[in-house]
Amino acid sequence: MIEVVYALWRRDMIKFLRDRRQLITSLTRPFLWLLAFGFGLRASVRLPTGGADYVSFLVPGLAAMTVLFASMFAAISIVWEREFGFLKELLVAPVPRGAIVAAKILAGSATALIETSLMLLLSPLVGARFNPLGALASLPLLAIFGMTVNALGIIVAARMKSFEGFGAVVNFVIQPVFFLSGALYPISGLPRGLRAVVLVNPMSYVVDAVRGLCIGHHSFPLLLDVAVILGSAVIFAALATRAFRKMEA
Amino acid sequence: MSAAIEVVDLKKSYDTVEAVRGVGFTVGAGEIFGFLGPNGAGKTTTIKILCTLLQATSGTARLAGLDVAASPSEVRKRIGVIFQDPALDDRLTAEENLMLHAVAYRVPRADRQARIDESLHFVDLFDRRKDLTRTFSGGMKRRLEIARGLVHRPEILFLDEPTTGLDPQTRARTWEVLRELRKKYGTTLFLTTHYMDEAENCDRIAIVDHGLIVALDTPAALKQRVGKDQIAARTADPAGLARLLSEKYGLESTAADGGLTFLVEEGDAFIVKLLTASDRPPLEGISVRRPTLDDVFLSLTGRQIRVEGAEGNAAKLRALVRRRG
Repeated sequence: MIEVVYALWRRDMIKFLRDRRQLITSLTRPFLWLLAFGFGLRASVRLPTGGADYVSFLVPGLAAMTVLFASMFAAISIVWEREFGFLKELLVAPVPRGAIVAAKILAGSATALIETSLMLLLSPLVGARFNPLGALASLPLLAIFGMTVNALGIIVAARMKSFEGFGAVVNFVIQPVFFLSGALYPISGLPRGLRAVVLVNPMSYVVDAVRGLCIGHHSFPLLLDVAVILGSAVIFAALATRAFRKMEA
Repeated sequence: MSAAIEVVDLKKSYDTVEAVRGVGFTVGAGEIFGFLGPNGAGKTTTIKILCTLLQATSGTARLAGLDVAASPSEVRKRIGVIFQDPALDDRLTAEENLMLHAVAYRVPRADRQARIDESLHFVDLFDRRKDLTRTFSGGMKRRLEIARGLVHRPEILFLDEPTTGLDPQTRARTWEVLRELRKKYGTTLFLTTHYMDEAENCDRIAIVDHGLIVALDTPAALKQRVGKDQIAARTADPAGLARLLSEKYGLESTAADGGLTFLVEEGDAFIVKLLTASDRPPLEGISVRRPTLDDVFLSLTGRQIRVEGAEGNAAKLRALVRRRG
Protein backbone atom coordinates (compact mmCIF):
# COMPACT_ATOMS: atom_id res chain seq x y z
CA MET A 1 0.00 0.00 0.00
CA ILE A 2 2.71 2.48 1.02
CA GLU A 3 4.75 1.27 -1.91
CA VAL A 4 1.90 1.93 -4.32
CA VAL A 5 1.39 5.44 -2.90
CA TYR A 6 5.11 6.04 -3.27
CA ALA A 7 5.18 4.73 -6.86
CA LEU A 8 2.23 6.93 -7.84
CA TRP A 9 3.71 9.93 -6.02
CA ARG A 10 7.03 9.37 -7.71
CA ARG A 11 5.33 9.27 -11.11
CA ASP A 12 3.90 12.76 -10.63
CA MET A 13 7.21 14.03 -9.30
CA ILE A 14 9.17 12.62 -12.24
CA LYS A 15 6.84 14.35 -14.64
CA PHE A 16 7.02 17.60 -12.69
CA LEU A 17 10.81 17.57 -12.60
CA ARG A 18 11.05 16.65 -16.28
CA ASP A 19 9.08 19.74 -17.15
CA ARG A 20 11.58 22.47 -16.21
CA ARG A 21 9.72 25.10 -18.14
CA GLN A 22 6.68 24.72 -15.95
CA LEU A 23 8.84 25.19 -12.87
CA ILE A 24 10.32 28.41 -14.19
CA THR A 25 7.07 29.88 -15.48
CA SER A 26 5.39 29.10 -12.16
CA LEU A 27 7.86 31.43 -10.44
CA THR A 28 6.94 34.37 -12.63
CA ARG A 29 3.61 34.85 -10.88
CA PRO A 30 4.92 35.55 -7.34
CA PHE A 31 7.81 37.63 -8.66
CA LEU A 32 5.52 39.69 -10.84
CA TRP A 33 3.42 40.40 -7.75
CA LEU A 34 6.49 41.11 -5.66
CA LEU A 35 8.04 43.47 -8.17
CA ALA A 36 4.98 45.25 -9.50
CA PHE A 37 2.87 45.34 -6.36
CA GLY A 38 5.60 45.32 -3.74
CA PHE A 39 7.84 47.97 -5.21
CA GLY A 40 4.96 49.83 -6.81
CA LEU A 41 3.25 50.39 -3.48
CA ARG A 42 6.18 50.28 -1.10
CA ALA A 43 6.53 54.02 -0.91
CA SER A 44 2.86 54.70 -0.26
CA VAL A 45 2.06 51.83 2.15
CA ARG A 46 2.58 52.50 5.83
CA LEU A 47 2.27 49.21 7.69
CA PRO A 48 1.01 49.07 11.25
CA THR A 49 3.73 46.49 11.85
CA GLY A 50 6.51 49.03 11.96
CA GLY A 51 9.86 47.45 11.03
CA ALA A 52 9.21 45.47 7.84
CA ASP A 53 8.81 47.19 4.50
CA TYR A 54 5.93 46.27 2.17
CA VAL A 55 8.04 44.01 -0.08
CA SER A 56 9.09 41.87 2.87
CA PHE A 57 5.53 41.97 4.20
CA LEU A 58 4.27 40.53 0.90
CA VAL A 59 6.69 37.60 0.76
CA PRO A 60 4.78 35.29 3.19
CA GLY A 61 1.48 36.06 1.44
CA LEU A 62 3.02 35.33 -1.95
CA ALA A 63 4.61 32.12 -0.63
CA ALA A 64 1.12 30.95 0.34
CA MET A 65 -0.23 32.16 -3.01
CA THR A 66 2.41 30.14 -4.84
CA VAL A 67 1.24 27.03 -2.97
CA LEU A 68 -2.40 27.88 -3.68
CA PHE A 69 -1.91 28.13 -7.44
CA ALA A 70 0.62 25.33 -7.83
CA SER A 71 -1.24 22.78 -5.76
CA MET A 72 -4.65 23.64 -7.16
CA PHE A 73 -3.51 23.34 -10.75
CA ALA A 74 -1.64 20.13 -9.99
CA ALA A 75 -5.10 18.58 -9.52
CA ILE A 76 -5.86 19.21 -13.18
CA SER A 77 -3.78 16.09 -13.84
CA ILE A 78 -6.87 14.09 -12.88
CA VAL A 79 -8.92 15.76 -15.62
CA TRP A 80 -5.98 15.33 -17.97
CA GLU A 81 -5.58 11.66 -17.16
CA ARG A 82 -9.24 10.98 -17.56
CA GLU A 83 -9.25 12.72 -20.92
CA PHE A 84 -6.25 10.77 -22.14
CA GLY A 85 -7.27 7.45 -20.68
CA PHE A 86 -4.58 6.83 -18.09
CA LEU A 87 -7.02 7.18 -15.23
CA LYS A 88 -8.79 4.02 -16.39
CA GLU A 89 -5.56 2.09 -16.04
CA LEU A 90 -5.39 3.26 -12.42
CA LEU A 91 -9.05 2.66 -11.64
CA VAL A 92 -9.00 -0.87 -12.97
CA ALA A 93 -5.86 -1.74 -11.00
CA PRO A 94 -6.21 -3.45 -7.61
CA VAL A 95 -5.27 -0.23 -5.84
CA PRO A 96 -7.53 1.32 -3.18
CA ARG A 97 -8.99 4.64 -4.35
CA GLY A 98 -7.68 6.18 -1.13
CA ALA A 99 -4.11 5.33 -2.14
CA ILE A 100 -4.52 7.14 -5.46
CA VAL A 101 -5.92 10.21 -3.71
CA ALA A 102 -3.15 10.14 -1.09
CA ALA A 103 -0.49 9.98 -3.80
CA LYS A 104 -2.09 12.85 -5.72
CA ILE A 105 -2.37 15.04 -2.62
CA LEU A 106 1.20 14.34 -1.54
CA ALA A 107 2.56 14.99 -5.03
CA GLY A 108 0.54 18.19 -5.47
CA SER A 109 1.80 19.40 -2.12
CA ALA A 110 5.41 18.43 -2.88
CA THR A 111 5.47 20.24 -6.20
CA ALA A 112 3.96 23.32 -4.56
CA LEU A 113 6.56 23.06 -1.80
CA ILE A 114 9.38 23.04 -4.34
CA GLU A 115 7.98 26.11 -6.05
CA THR A 116 7.36 28.07 -2.87
CA SER A 117 10.82 27.15 -1.51
CA LEU A 118 12.41 28.50 -4.67
CA MET A 119 10.34 31.62 -4.36
CA LEU A 120 11.44 32.15 -0.73
CA LEU A 121 15.04 31.38 -1.65
CA LEU A 122 15.11 33.87 -4.52
CA SER A 123 13.08 36.72 -3.02
CA PRO A 124 16.03 38.20 -1.00
CA LEU A 125 17.66 38.82 -4.39
CA VAL A 126 15.05 41.51 -5.09
CA GLY A 127 15.41 43.01 -1.66
CA ALA A 128 12.98 41.12 0.60
CA ARG A 129 14.18 40.78 4.20
CA PHE A 130 12.92 38.05 6.55
CA ASN A 131 14.13 35.55 9.09
CA PRO A 132 15.53 32.59 7.13
CA LEU A 133 14.94 30.16 10.01
CA GLY A 134 11.37 31.35 10.26
CA ALA A 135 10.96 30.71 6.54
CA LEU A 136 12.38 27.22 7.00
CA ALA A 137 9.95 26.57 9.85
CA SER A 138 7.10 27.75 7.59
CA LEU A 139 7.73 25.07 4.98
CA PRO A 140 5.89 22.22 6.78
CA LEU A 141 2.87 24.49 7.24
CA LEU A 142 2.96 25.50 3.57
CA ALA A 143 3.23 21.83 2.61
CA ILE A 144 0.14 20.94 4.65
CA PHE A 145 -1.71 23.87 3.14
CA GLY A 146 -0.68 22.45 -0.24
CA MET A 147 -2.44 19.18 0.65
CA THR A 148 -5.63 21.04 1.57
CA VAL A 149 -5.61 22.96 -1.69
CA ASN A 150 -4.84 19.89 -3.79
CA ALA A 151 -7.65 18.01 -2.06
CA LEU A 152 -10.00 20.85 -2.97
CA GLY A 153 -8.70 20.64 -6.54
CA ILE A 154 -9.44 16.90 -6.60
CA ILE A 155 -12.99 17.53 -5.40
CA VAL A 156 -13.47 19.91 -8.33
CA ALA A 157 -11.62 17.67 -10.82
CA ALA A 158 -13.68 14.61 -9.87
CA ARG A 159 -16.78 16.43 -11.06
CA MET A 160 -15.32 18.16 -14.10
CA LYS A 161 -15.10 16.50 -17.46
CA SER A 162 -13.16 19.17 -19.31
CA PHE A 163 -10.13 21.39 -18.84
CA GLU A 164 -12.24 24.46 -19.50
CA GLY A 165 -14.71 23.45 -16.81
CA PHE A 166 -11.95 22.83 -14.31
CA GLY A 167 -10.24 26.12 -15.17
CA ALA A 168 -13.46 28.10 -14.80
CA VAL A 169 -14.42 26.61 -11.43
CA VAL A 170 -10.90 26.80 -10.06
CA ASN A 171 -10.53 30.45 -10.99
CA PHE A 172 -13.88 31.12 -9.40
CA VAL A 173 -12.57 29.56 -6.16
CA ILE A 174 -8.95 30.60 -6.23
CA GLN A 175 -9.35 34.35 -6.68
CA PRO A 176 -11.49 35.05 -3.59
CA VAL A 177 -9.39 32.65 -1.50
CA PHE A 178 -6.26 34.58 -2.48
CA PHE A 179 -7.59 38.12 -2.29
CA LEU A 180 -9.51 37.57 0.95
CA SER A 181 -6.66 35.96 2.85
CA GLY A 182 -4.63 38.92 4.03
CA ALA A 183 -1.84 37.90 1.66
CA LEU A 184 -1.64 41.45 0.32
CA TYR A 185 -2.61 43.56 3.35
CA PRO A 186 -2.77 43.40 7.12
CA ILE A 187 -6.22 42.26 8.23
CA SER A 188 -6.30 44.47 11.31
CA GLY A 189 -7.67 47.47 9.46
CA LEU A 190 -10.50 45.70 7.61
CA PRO A 191 -14.19 46.60 8.00
CA ARG A 192 -16.06 44.12 10.16
CA GLY A 193 -17.94 42.31 7.34
CA LEU A 194 -14.86 41.78 5.22
CA ARG A 195 -12.88 40.70 8.24
CA ALA A 196 -15.48 38.01 8.95
CA VAL A 197 -14.96 36.61 5.45
CA VAL A 198 -11.19 36.63 5.90
CA LEU A 199 -11.59 34.77 9.20
CA VAL A 200 -13.40 31.81 7.63
CA ASN A 201 -10.78 31.48 4.90
CA PRO A 202 -8.24 28.81 5.90
CA MET A 203 -5.55 30.51 3.82
CA SER A 204 -5.66 33.53 6.16
CA TYR A 205 -4.21 31.36 8.91
CA VAL A 206 -1.45 30.08 6.64
CA VAL A 207 -0.48 33.62 5.67
CA ASP A 208 -0.64 34.66 9.32
CA ALA A 209 1.56 31.81 10.53
CA VAL A 210 4.16 32.25 7.81
CA ARG A 211 4.24 36.01 8.29
CA GLY A 212 4.61 35.54 12.02
CA LEU A 213 7.52 33.15 11.53
CA CYS A 214 9.22 35.22 8.82
CA ILE A 215 8.81 38.84 9.92
CA GLY A 216 7.31 38.51 13.41
CA HIS A 217 3.97 40.09 12.53
CA HIS A 218 0.82 38.07 13.17
CA SER A 219 -2.82 38.54 14.16
CA PHE A 220 -3.65 35.11 15.63
CA PRO A 221 -1.78 32.83 18.05
CA LEU A 222 0.48 30.44 16.15
CA LEU A 223 -1.25 27.50 17.81
CA LEU A 224 -4.60 28.56 16.35
CA ASP A 225 -2.98 28.91 12.91
CA VAL A 226 -1.52 25.42 13.12
CA ALA A 227 -4.81 23.95 14.35
CA VAL A 228 -6.75 25.50 11.44
CA ILE A 229 -4.10 24.40 8.92
CA LEU A 230 -4.12 20.80 10.16
CA GLY A 231 -7.89 20.65 10.64
CA SER A 232 -8.71 21.91 7.15
CA ALA A 233 -6.21 19.45 5.64
CA VAL A 234 -7.91 16.50 7.35
CA ILE A 235 -11.40 17.66 6.35
CA PHE A 236 -10.56 18.34 2.72
CA ALA A 237 -8.54 15.13 2.31
CA ALA A 238 -11.55 13.16 3.56
CA LEU A 239 -13.89 15.00 1.19
CA ALA A 240 -11.51 14.47 -1.73
CA THR A 241 -11.35 10.72 -1.06
CA ARG A 242 -15.12 10.58 -1.01
CA ALA A 243 -15.43 12.56 -4.25
CA PHE A 244 -12.86 10.36 -5.95
CA ARG A 245 -14.59 7.16 -4.83
CA LYS A 246 -17.85 8.32 -6.33
CA MET A 247 -16.23 9.23 -9.61
CA GLU A 248 -16.43 6.82 -12.51
CA ALA A 249 -14.00 6.56 -15.38
CA MET B 1 -12.81 -26.51 -19.55
CA SER B 2 -13.71 -24.47 -16.46
CA ALA B 3 -15.41 -21.13 -16.96
CA ALA B 4 -13.27 -18.00 -16.91
CA ILE B 5 -16.21 -15.68 -17.47
CA GLU B 6 -19.86 -16.34 -16.70
CA VAL B 7 -22.40 -13.68 -17.53
CA VAL B 8 -26.11 -14.00 -16.82
CA ASP B 9 -28.76 -11.61 -18.11
CA LEU B 10 -26.60 -8.51 -17.83
CA LYS B 11 -28.29 -5.16 -18.33
CA LYS B 12 -27.08 -1.57 -18.24
CA SER B 13 -29.11 1.58 -18.82
CA TYR B 14 -28.00 5.18 -19.00
CA ASP B 15 -30.90 7.46 -18.19
CA THR B 16 -33.25 6.53 -21.02
CA VAL B 17 -30.84 4.56 -23.19
CA GLU B 18 -30.53 0.81 -22.72
CA ALA B 19 -26.95 0.12 -23.80
CA VAL B 20 -26.97 -3.55 -22.79
CA ARG B 21 -30.35 -5.26 -22.78
CA GLY B 22 -29.71 -8.65 -21.22
CA VAL B 23 -26.67 -10.56 -22.43
CA GLY B 24 -25.53 -13.95 -21.18
CA PHE B 25 -22.59 -16.14 -22.15
CA THR B 26 -19.79 -18.30 -20.77
CA VAL B 27 -16.14 -18.15 -21.75
CA GLY B 28 -13.89 -21.12 -21.05
CA ALA B 29 -10.41 -20.80 -19.56
CA GLY B 30 -7.84 -20.25 -22.29
CA GLU B 31 -10.43 -19.36 -24.88
CA ILE B 32 -10.24 -16.43 -27.29
CA PHE B 33 -13.72 -15.00 -27.20
CA GLY B 34 -14.89 -12.14 -29.38
CA PHE B 35 -17.72 -9.67 -29.09
CA LEU B 36 -18.50 -8.65 -32.64
CA GLY B 37 -20.85 -5.87 -33.49
CA PRO B 38 -21.21 -2.36 -34.84
CA ASN B 39 -20.21 0.68 -32.82
CA GLY B 40 -22.82 1.46 -30.22
CA ALA B 41 -23.94 -2.17 -29.91
CA GLY B 42 -23.00 -2.26 -26.20
CA LYS B 43 -19.59 -3.91 -26.50
CA THR B 44 -17.59 -1.36 -24.57
CA THR B 45 -20.27 -1.07 -21.90
CA THR B 46 -20.15 -4.84 -21.39
CA ILE B 47 -16.37 -4.86 -21.14
CA LYS B 48 -16.43 -1.99 -18.63
CA ILE B 49 -18.87 -3.88 -16.44
CA LEU B 50 -16.74 -7.03 -16.61
CA CYS B 51 -13.60 -5.15 -15.57
CA THR B 52 -15.38 -3.38 -12.67
CA LEU B 53 -15.35 0.14 -14.12
CA LEU B 54 -19.14 0.28 -14.39
CA GLN B 55 -21.94 -1.17 -12.28
CA ALA B 56 -24.52 -3.22 -14.13
CA THR B 57 -28.14 -2.17 -13.76
CA SER B 58 -29.06 -5.83 -13.28
CA GLY B 59 -27.77 -9.33 -13.93
CA THR B 60 -24.57 -10.97 -12.75
CA ALA B 61 -21.06 -11.39 -14.07
CA ARG B 62 -18.49 -13.74 -12.57
CA LEU B 63 -14.82 -13.79 -13.43
CA ALA B 64 -12.80 -16.80 -12.31
CA GLY B 65 -15.78 -17.55 -10.06
CA LEU B 66 -15.79 -14.08 -8.47
CA ASP B 67 -18.73 -11.72 -8.71
CA VAL B 68 -17.56 -8.45 -10.26
CA ALA B 69 -19.98 -6.32 -8.27
CA ALA B 70 -19.34 -8.03 -4.92
CA SER B 71 -15.54 -8.35 -5.01
CA PRO B 72 -14.17 -5.82 -7.48
CA SER B 73 -10.69 -5.68 -6.00
CA GLU B 74 -10.26 -9.48 -6.11
CA VAL B 75 -11.41 -9.39 -9.73
CA ARG B 76 -9.02 -6.55 -10.56
CA LYS B 77 -6.05 -8.60 -9.39
CA ARG B 78 -6.87 -11.35 -11.87
CA ILE B 79 -7.56 -9.35 -14.99
CA GLY B 80 -5.68 -7.19 -17.43
CA VAL B 81 -7.42 -4.58 -19.52
CA ILE B 82 -6.36 -3.00 -22.77
CA PHE B 83 -8.65 -0.13 -23.54
CA GLN B 84 -9.90 1.14 -26.84
CA ASP B 85 -8.02 4.39 -26.43
CA PRO B 86 -4.42 4.24 -25.25
CA ALA B 87 -4.18 4.40 -21.47
CA LEU B 88 -0.46 4.97 -21.13
CA ASP B 89 1.19 7.80 -19.29
CA ASP B 90 2.84 9.32 -22.32
CA ARG B 91 5.27 11.42 -20.33
CA LEU B 92 6.82 8.35 -18.76
CA THR B 93 9.14 5.93 -20.52
CA ALA B 94 7.96 2.51 -21.65
CA GLU B 95 9.77 0.90 -18.75
CA GLU B 96 8.41 3.37 -16.19
CA ASN B 97 4.87 2.66 -17.37
CA LEU B 98 5.37 -1.05 -16.85
CA MET B 99 7.11 -0.59 -13.50
CA LEU B 100 4.24 1.46 -12.16
CA HIS B 101 1.88 -1.25 -13.32
CA ALA B 102 4.00 -3.96 -11.67
CA VAL B 103 3.88 -2.13 -8.34
CA ALA B 104 0.16 -1.41 -8.62
CA TYR B 105 -0.54 -5.10 -9.27
CA ARG B 106 1.75 -6.20 -6.43
CA VAL B 107 4.16 -8.16 -8.58
CA PRO B 108 6.79 -9.35 -6.07
CA ARG B 109 9.71 -6.94 -6.06
CA ALA B 110 12.24 -9.63 -6.95
CA ASP B 111 10.31 -10.59 -10.10
CA ARG B 112 9.53 -7.12 -11.39
CA GLN B 113 12.48 -6.31 -13.58
CA ALA B 114 12.55 -9.77 -15.12
CA ARG B 115 8.83 -9.68 -15.89
CA ILE B 116 9.09 -6.21 -17.40
CA ASP B 117 12.04 -7.20 -19.59
CA GLU B 118 10.26 -10.36 -20.68
CA SER B 119 7.10 -8.46 -21.53
CA LEU B 120 9.05 -5.86 -23.50
CA HIS B 121 10.88 -8.55 -25.42
CA PHE B 122 7.59 -10.28 -26.08
CA VAL B 123 6.23 -7.26 -27.96
CA ASP B 124 9.57 -6.31 -29.50
CA LEU B 125 9.94 -3.04 -27.62
CA PHE B 126 12.89 -3.85 -25.39
CA ASP B 127 15.19 -1.57 -27.36
CA ARG B 128 12.81 1.36 -26.85
CA ARG B 129 12.32 0.83 -23.12
CA LYS B 130 14.03 4.09 -22.12
CA ASP B 131 12.04 6.24 -24.54
CA LEU B 132 9.08 8.38 -23.55
CA THR B 133 5.91 6.72 -24.79
CA ARG B 134 4.75 9.98 -26.38
CA THR B 135 7.34 9.32 -29.08
CA PHE B 136 5.74 5.94 -29.94
CA SER B 137 3.54 5.26 -32.96
CA GLY B 138 -0.02 4.01 -32.51
CA GLY B 139 1.02 0.42 -33.13
CA MET B 140 3.90 0.62 -30.67
CA LYS B 141 1.63 2.08 -28.01
CA ARG B 142 -0.81 -0.75 -28.50
CA ARG B 143 1.98 -3.30 -28.22
CA LEU B 144 3.29 -1.61 -25.11
CA GLU B 145 -0.18 -1.82 -23.61
CA ILE B 146 -0.27 -5.52 -24.36
CA ALA B 147 3.13 -5.85 -22.70
CA ARG B 148 1.79 -4.00 -19.69
CA GLY B 149 -1.22 -6.28 -19.61
CA LEU B 150 1.18 -9.21 -19.29
CA VAL B 151 3.37 -7.93 -16.48
CA HIS B 152 1.08 -9.22 -13.74
CA ARG B 153 0.20 -12.43 -15.65
CA PRO B 154 -3.55 -11.97 -15.61
CA GLU B 155 -5.83 -14.97 -15.92
CA ILE B 156 -8.11 -13.02 -18.20
CA LEU B 157 -7.09 -10.26 -20.58
CA PHE B 158 -9.74 -7.86 -21.87
CA LEU B 159 -9.10 -6.03 -25.11
CA ASP B 160 -11.50 -3.37 -26.29
CA GLU B 161 -11.09 -2.98 -30.07
CA PRO B 162 -7.44 -4.02 -29.90
CA THR B 163 -6.50 -3.14 -33.44
CA THR B 164 -8.77 -0.22 -34.31
CA GLY B 165 -6.83 2.48 -36.08
CA LEU B 166 -3.80 0.29 -36.75
CA ASP B 167 -2.44 -0.46 -40.20
CA PRO B 168 -2.93 -4.01 -41.55
CA GLN B 169 0.67 -5.03 -40.88
CA THR B 170 0.53 -3.91 -37.26
CA ARG B 171 -2.84 -5.59 -36.85
CA ALA B 172 -1.38 -8.87 -38.07
CA ARG B 173 1.59 -8.49 -35.72
CA THR B 174 -0.71 -7.71 -32.79
CA TRP B 175 -2.64 -10.88 -33.45
CA GLU B 176 0.55 -12.90 -33.59
CA VAL B 177 1.39 -11.56 -30.15
CA LEU B 178 -2.07 -12.38 -28.80
CA ARG B 179 -1.97 -15.95 -30.08
CA GLU B 180 1.50 -16.45 -28.66
CA LEU B 181 0.25 -15.12 -25.38
CA ARG B 182 -2.49 -17.69 -25.15
CA LYS B 183 -0.13 -20.45 -26.16
CA LYS B 184 2.54 -19.48 -23.68
CA TYR B 185 0.49 -18.53 -20.60
CA GLY B 186 -2.92 -20.04 -21.30
CA THR B 187 -4.48 -16.59 -20.86
CA THR B 188 -8.17 -16.23 -21.57
CA LEU B 189 -8.77 -13.42 -24.05
CA PHE B 190 -11.99 -11.48 -24.26
CA LEU B 191 -12.08 -8.92 -27.02
CA THR B 192 -14.49 -6.66 -28.79
CA THR B 193 -14.23 -5.74 -32.42
CA HIS B 194 -16.20 -4.47 -35.34
CA TYR B 195 -13.79 -5.95 -37.86
CA MET B 196 -14.99 -9.20 -39.41
CA ASP B 197 -11.53 -10.42 -40.30
CA GLU B 198 -10.40 -9.83 -36.74
CA ALA B 199 -13.29 -11.86 -35.40
CA GLU B 200 -12.03 -14.79 -37.51
CA ASN B 201 -9.14 -15.09 -35.05
CA CYS B 202 -11.49 -15.96 -32.19
CA ASP B 203 -12.40 -19.43 -31.02
CA ARG B 204 -15.96 -18.29 -30.56
CA ILE B 205 -17.84 -15.12 -31.39
CA ALA B 206 -20.89 -13.51 -29.93
CA ILE B 207 -22.53 -11.27 -32.48
CA VAL B 208 -24.10 -8.33 -30.69
CA ASP B 209 -26.51 -5.76 -31.97
CA HIS B 210 -28.52 -3.15 -30.09
CA GLY B 211 -27.38 -4.49 -26.73
CA LEU B 212 -28.33 -8.12 -27.37
CA ILE B 213 -26.44 -11.23 -28.45
CA VAL B 214 -28.02 -12.34 -31.72
CA ALA B 215 -25.75 -15.36 -32.31
CA LEU B 216 -22.94 -17.14 -30.50
CA ASP B 217 -20.75 -19.84 -32.05
CA THR B 218 -17.42 -20.58 -33.70
CA PRO B 219 -16.70 -18.49 -36.79
CA ALA B 220 -16.95 -21.62 -38.97
CA ALA B 221 -20.28 -22.68 -37.50
CA LEU B 222 -21.68 -19.17 -37.85
CA LYS B 223 -20.74 -19.15 -41.50
CA GLN B 224 -22.17 -22.64 -41.86
CA ARG B 225 -25.40 -21.21 -40.57
CA VAL B 226 -25.62 -18.85 -43.53
CA GLY B 227 -24.80 -21.99 -45.40
CA LYS B 228 -24.09 -21.89 -49.01
CA ASP B 229 -21.05 -20.91 -51.01
CA GLN B 230 -21.46 -18.60 -53.93
CA ILE B 231 -20.12 -19.81 -57.26
CA ALA B 232 -19.49 -17.49 -60.19
CA ALA B 233 -19.02 -19.17 -63.57
CA ARG B 234 -17.95 -17.42 -66.75
CA THR B 235 -19.28 -18.96 -69.92
CA ALA B 236 -20.28 -18.02 -73.47
CA ASP B 237 -23.48 -20.04 -73.04
CA PRO B 238 -25.10 -18.94 -69.77
CA ALA B 239 -28.51 -20.20 -70.86
CA GLY B 240 -27.14 -23.69 -71.45
CA LEU B 241 -25.37 -23.73 -68.11
CA ALA B 242 -28.46 -22.46 -66.30
CA ARG B 243 -30.51 -25.23 -67.87
CA LEU B 244 -28.01 -27.87 -66.84
CA LEU B 245 -27.87 -26.55 -63.26
CA SER B 246 -31.60 -26.54 -62.86
CA GLU B 247 -32.32 -29.87 -64.59
CA LYS B 248 -29.48 -31.95 -63.24
CA TYR B 249 -28.81 -30.37 -59.81
CA GLY B 250 -31.99 -28.47 -59.09
CA LEU B 251 -30.08 -25.20 -58.61
CA GLU B 252 -31.35 -21.75 -59.36
CA SER B 253 -28.91 -19.33 -60.92
CA THR B 254 -28.82 -15.64 -61.73
CA ALA B 255 -27.29 -14.12 -64.83
CA ALA B 256 -24.19 -12.06 -64.20
CA ASP B 257 -21.72 -10.22 -66.35
CA GLY B 258 -20.21 -12.78 -68.73
CA GLY B 259 -21.86 -15.77 -67.06
CA LEU B 260 -23.95 -16.55 -64.00
CA THR B 261 -23.79 -17.06 -60.25
CA PHE B 262 -25.49 -19.56 -58.02
CA LEU B 263 -25.50 -20.73 -54.41
CA VAL B 264 -24.60 -24.27 -53.44
CA GLU B 265 -23.44 -26.16 -50.35
CA GLU B 266 -19.82 -27.28 -50.37
CA GLY B 267 -18.96 -25.24 -53.40
CA ASP B 268 -15.46 -26.67 -53.88
CA ALA B 269 -16.78 -30.21 -54.23
CA PHE B 270 -19.52 -29.02 -56.51
CA ILE B 271 -17.02 -27.39 -58.87
CA VAL B 272 -15.26 -30.73 -59.33
CA LYS B 273 -18.59 -32.39 -60.04
CA LEU B 274 -19.48 -29.73 -62.57
CA LEU B 275 -16.11 -29.85 -64.33
CA THR B 276 -16.28 -33.60 -64.76
CA ALA B 277 -19.84 -33.54 -66.10
CA SER B 278 -19.76 -34.48 -69.79
CA ASP B 279 -22.83 -32.53 -70.82
CA ARG B 280 -21.83 -29.05 -69.58
CA PRO B 281 -21.29 -26.10 -71.91
CA PRO B 282 -17.68 -24.87 -72.17
CA LEU B 283 -16.52 -22.77 -69.18
CA GLU B 284 -14.07 -19.87 -69.32
CA GLY B 285 -13.59 -19.50 -65.61
CA ILE B 286 -15.10 -20.48 -62.29
CA SER B 287 -14.65 -19.26 -58.72
CA VAL B 288 -16.12 -20.05 -55.32
CA ARG B 289 -16.64 -17.56 -52.52
CA ARG B 290 -17.23 -18.82 -49.01
CA PRO B 291 -19.68 -16.93 -46.82
CA THR B 292 -17.97 -14.34 -44.65
CA LEU B 293 -18.95 -13.05 -41.25
CA ASP B 294 -20.26 -10.04 -43.14
CA ASP B 295 -22.83 -12.34 -44.73
CA VAL B 296 -23.58 -13.79 -41.29
CA PHE B 297 -24.13 -10.37 -39.82
CA LEU B 298 -26.27 -9.35 -42.76
CA SER B 299 -28.42 -12.45 -42.53
CA LEU B 300 -28.87 -12.08 -38.76
CA THR B 301 -29.61 -8.38 -38.59
CA GLY B 302 -30.67 -7.52 -42.11
CA ARG B 303 -27.97 -4.84 -42.13
CA GLN B 304 -24.34 -4.57 -43.06
CA ILE B 305 -22.06 -3.95 -40.12
CA ARG B 306 -21.58 -0.21 -40.19
CA VAL B 307 -17.93 0.52 -40.55
CA GLU B 308 -17.62 3.85 -42.27
CA GLY B 309 -20.87 5.76 -42.53
CA ALA B 310 -22.10 5.73 -38.97
CA GLU B 311 -18.67 5.91 -37.40
CA GLY B 312 -19.02 9.60 -36.59
CA ASN B 313 -22.33 9.14 -34.81
CA ALA B 314 -21.14 6.10 -32.94
CA ALA B 315 -18.05 7.96 -31.79
CA LYS B 316 -20.25 10.75 -30.55
CA LEU B 317 -22.48 8.30 -28.74
CA ARG B 318 -19.43 6.66 -27.22
CA ALA B 319 -18.15 10.03 -26.06
CA LEU B 320 -21.55 10.69 -24.54
CA VAL B 321 -21.59 7.36 -22.77
CA ARG B 322 -18.07 7.94 -21.51
CA ARG B 323 -19.04 11.34 -20.20
CA ARG B 324 -21.98 9.88 -18.35
CA GLY B 325 -20.29 7.05 -16.77
